[in-house]
Amino acid sequence: MVTTAIGAALNWVTMTKDSRRAPGTLEAEVMAVLWQGSPAAPVTPSDAQAQLGDLAYNTVQTILVRLHEKGLAERRKVGRSYAYWAAQDAATTAAAQMNAVLTGRADRQAVLQQFAATLDERDMAILREHLRNQA
Amino acid sequence: MTVAVYLPLLLALPLFWAAPRLTRGGSPALAARALTAVAAVAGFATVWSLGLLALTLLDDVPPLRTLDNHPVLEPPEPVPGPIALVAALLLLGGAARLAVDLHRRLGTVRRLRAVGRPRAGLVVADLPAPMAVAVPGRPGHLLVTTGILRLLGPRERRVLFAHERAHLRHRHSALVMVAAAAAAVNPLLAPAREAVGYLVERWADEDAAAEVGDRDLTAQAVARAALGTVPTWPALGIDGGVAVRRVRALAEPAPSPRRGRLAGLVVLAVAFTATMAVATIAFVGLARAWL
Repeated sequence: MVTTAIGAALNWVTMTKDSRRAPGTLEAEVMAVLWQGSPAAPVTPSDAQAQLGDLAYNTVQTILVRLHEKGLAERRKVGRSYAYWAAQDAATTAAAQMNAVLTGRADRQAVLQQFAATLDERDMAILREHLRNQA
Repeated sequence: MTVAVYLPLLLALPLFWAAPRLTRGGSPALAARALTAVAAVAGFATVWSLGLLALTLLDDVPPLRTLDNHPVLEPPEPVPGPIALVAALLLLGGAARLAVDLHRRLGTVRRLRAVGRPRAGLVVADLPAPMAVAVPGRPGHLLVTTGILRLLGPRERRVLFAHERAHLRHRHSALVMVAAAAAAVNPLLAPAREAVGYLVERWADEDAAAEVGDRDLTAQAVARAALGTVPTWPALGIDGGVAVRRVRALAEPAPSPRRGRLAGLVVLAVAFTATMAVATIAFVGLARAWL
């Protein structure tokens, strides 16, 4: 009982220390990592921690458990701990719905606030060059 | 009627010229807000101006026309009938464009909301096409495809999330919608609409860069996402140079507000409001002459 409380408090402390992020972004980021895995190759908490870089192991672990409780992540035992992957059902339904939005009418796409617009050949060359210079 | 009633229509011209120039530097947040506000005033002024001109058509309604023969009630400077008619048609055209545009935008938002129930502020669609959209609402959520999650590295995904959340936090969709409504009623404001669309992207880029604390990483995420976009899709209403301009802007130091140019916009807004007031006074004078 006491240890659980201390554990929760520690988690809280580490999470606030870690989140130089806006609230709510951590779960989304961990979800994104889970999409790198699959039922055949699930993601372990240490894999996820390594990908996310600057988060404490406990923080990642807590979020994974929470995502599993919400039904967003599935898991199975790998060795002594659990490994996780993203639950597919909701995303498959969403994919069908999103296809309907996109293929419905071309002018709908015009009003989507896209992270990135499409490019012509010259732009592609410039951006490829930029990424090469970064690397 | 005095010449003042035509002035709000002409004042959209400087905005036609100024809007693209406002995207070339300075704080995108300040520029987006100011440009949207001035475009809104300009759009309102257009409706006002055309409305006043169109209302003078009532002059031709027979019972009123009989009054015109009375020398005391002669309107000081009547609006020529054809001009009033053109104004009425322009007003109707603008109203139709506004209705179509709003219907399309709100319909798209409704459909995007229906794509899935957000959990952890996120809806993931299992599609290979790399896409990410901020779905406006209270509180609003992100809609991303597995395609873009796989395309970007873990640190780049942080940029993506920060960028989309900035759209939601600052209600960018509302700004874009207001600018689009203004452009619907006055096509001279179309460059302002395009500029606001670009500026909110830059604004979200700057917010994301500040949140992750890395401008190069932000530029890298924008470049990679743009390169992954399926080229067969239509150009999404923005010219292809947008991604390149965003990447180049991120290669420069974080922008500071350029208040000089904004002062120009404020002057423009005040000028609009003043001419609207003068036009209204002229119209009231005319209306009293009729009655």
